[in-house]
Amino acid sequence: MTFASTPHPTTTKPHDDTELGVMSFDDNGFSRFIERRTEPTWLTARRKEAWAIYESLDWPNPRDENWMRSDLRGFRIAKFAPNIDESVAIPSTTPVRLRTVTTASGTDAAGTEVTGTHANGTDTTLEVSGSLQSVNGIVIAEALDPQLAAKGVIVGSLARCARDHSKLVETHLHKTINASADRFAALQQAMWSDGYFIYVPKNVRVPLPIHIHAAMGDGQVDLSHTLIVLEDGAEATVLFESASPSDQANGFHCGGVELIQRSGSHLRYVNLQDWGRNAWHFAHQRASVGRDASLQWTVAAMGSRFAQVDQRVELVEPGATSQVNGVMFTRDKQHLVYNTLQHHNAPHCRSDFLYKSVLQDRSRTVWRGMIKVSEGAQKTDGYQRNDNLMLSDTSRADSIPGLEINADDVRCTHGSTSGRVDEELIFYAQSRGFTRSEAVRMIVTGFFQQIFDRITIESVRDALGAAIARQVRQYE
Amino acid sequence: MLDYQYVCERDELPENTPKTFEVDQRFVVLINLSGEIFCIEDMCTHDGGTLGDGQLDGQCLVCPRHGAKFDVKNGKAMCMPATEDTPSHTVRVDGTKVFVALSDS
Repeated sequence: MTFASTPHPTTTKPHDDTELGVMSFDDNGFSRFIERRTEPTWLTARRKEAWAIYESLDWPNPRDENWMRSDLRGFRIAKFAPNIDESVAIPSTTPVRLRTVTTASGTDAAGTEVTGTHANGTDTTLEVSGSLQSVNGIVIAEALDPQLAAKGVIVGSLARCARDHSKLVETHLHKTINASADRFAALQQAMWSDGYFIYVPKNVRVPLPIHIHAAMGDGQVDLSHTLIVLEDGAEATVLFESASPSDQANGFHCGGVELIQRSGSHLRYVNLQDWGRNAWHFAHQRASVGRDASLQWTVAAMGSRFAQVDQRVELVEPGATSQVNGVMFTRDKQHLVYNTLQHHNAPHCRSDFLYKSVLQDRSRTVWRGMIKVSEGAQKTDGYQRNDNLMLSDTSRADSIPGLEINADDVRCTHGSTSGRVDEELIFYAQSRGFTRSEAVRMIVTGFFQQIFDRITIESVRDALGAAIARQVRQYE
Repeated sequence: MLDYQYVCERDELPENTPKTFEVDQRFVVLINLSGEIFCIEDMCTHDGGTLGDGQLDGQCLVCPRHGAKFDVKNGKAMCMPATEDTPSHTVRVDGTKVFVALSDS
């Protein structure tokens, strides 16, 4: 069985600055962006509304609660230019780290030979039911098992699907993210370049993971959007990986994620963020979980110089359950901020958030988590926990769990721990023949084990393990 | 050997007015204290926020949020709620130009 593969048409030339002028995130840039797109009128109207909001807002500042522990002073949007094309040429020499992807039939998902190695030099393979690849926020290849396509499953470029499945995309796109949330949300809704649309019809099960690989060139911009919709009783696993061409690459990613789940659906969504260590990463991520549906959302945040992620899971109908597993592993001067909300908006729902961070060098993490229980959401079972392990004197972890409960028959628990590596543990390991470096690695691995134990899919565990291994320093 | 990096011209630093600069992806505050230039990290060790918008109280820079004070000459935390010193950096004035060597801490 060979999967149909649809490499996207590409323009034959890169942006011509003499023709277009140097593009910026300003009125002129937005006008050029709109002019060059072929898309439904509803979408253009929405983009214009969002642009008006973008222009009316200021950049977030430290007086905003969500940005109080964020440092945006080094961020200058004028350093970046928007992607104004719907598809772009990719030089064959673009040094993008790709993950080797093989489908069930053993062919490459993109239909062409994709050879890739992780930075640690190991080839990995993953059997998939479908895949999407993008460069600088533009999808360049998409593939889907034809048997699933025949059942109505859609895996494709969001820009293409906004044309080909206009009604479906219009119904769901940006319905869970408020453009007024902050200036980054407005910018993303106004100028999202492309993205990833996955739709699974009623009672269809996607047997193997759908793999998304997003690459962003050094100094480039990625304004992509992920929209995943599972109808009643549908089931899917989605593995999203992001990467830059080098460890120290710069870039600006301003993205959105929307996971929409109807009754009885089951979604496993894994997001491995590994942008270059000079990239800026901003994202609004939302899940809406329906009656008796379940969501397992695993986040691994490894890359970027600065990241600010606003992650919310809305449990909107009785019986919805969500489990969020977060891994943050930082080094150098990285500064990662995660604001999470688990919102119980219906009775008999369960949510379980576990974030674990390991910090090296001068890095900093901020986790600010909130369990919100709406009036009437009785029999809620909410749990949140954040553990931080600091491997240096100069790292810093801020952990701020919170509860806002408006119902009187609930169980909500939260907790947080922060600490250094226990020297006695290291001493014990050394007394058993391990070097200090090996001992610290073991402790870090053990610290994350609780997350690994929660991930049932071996390929996902492998991907996460490889990402963590790349981040571990040699300790002396 | 200290690695000095050019930061600004001396006349960009009016007396007793803290000013923030980015040096090697770190933010530092330069203070012209009655003619002598000092440099400390632009970070309050209490909450990790910035100090650059703070006012001077004698030779201390006062955090604009919770009132922690840091000695601009050595970064020493002088009062609650800060209990840890903020890093201080070495300044060299070469004619009209101001250079800073970042400390490792």
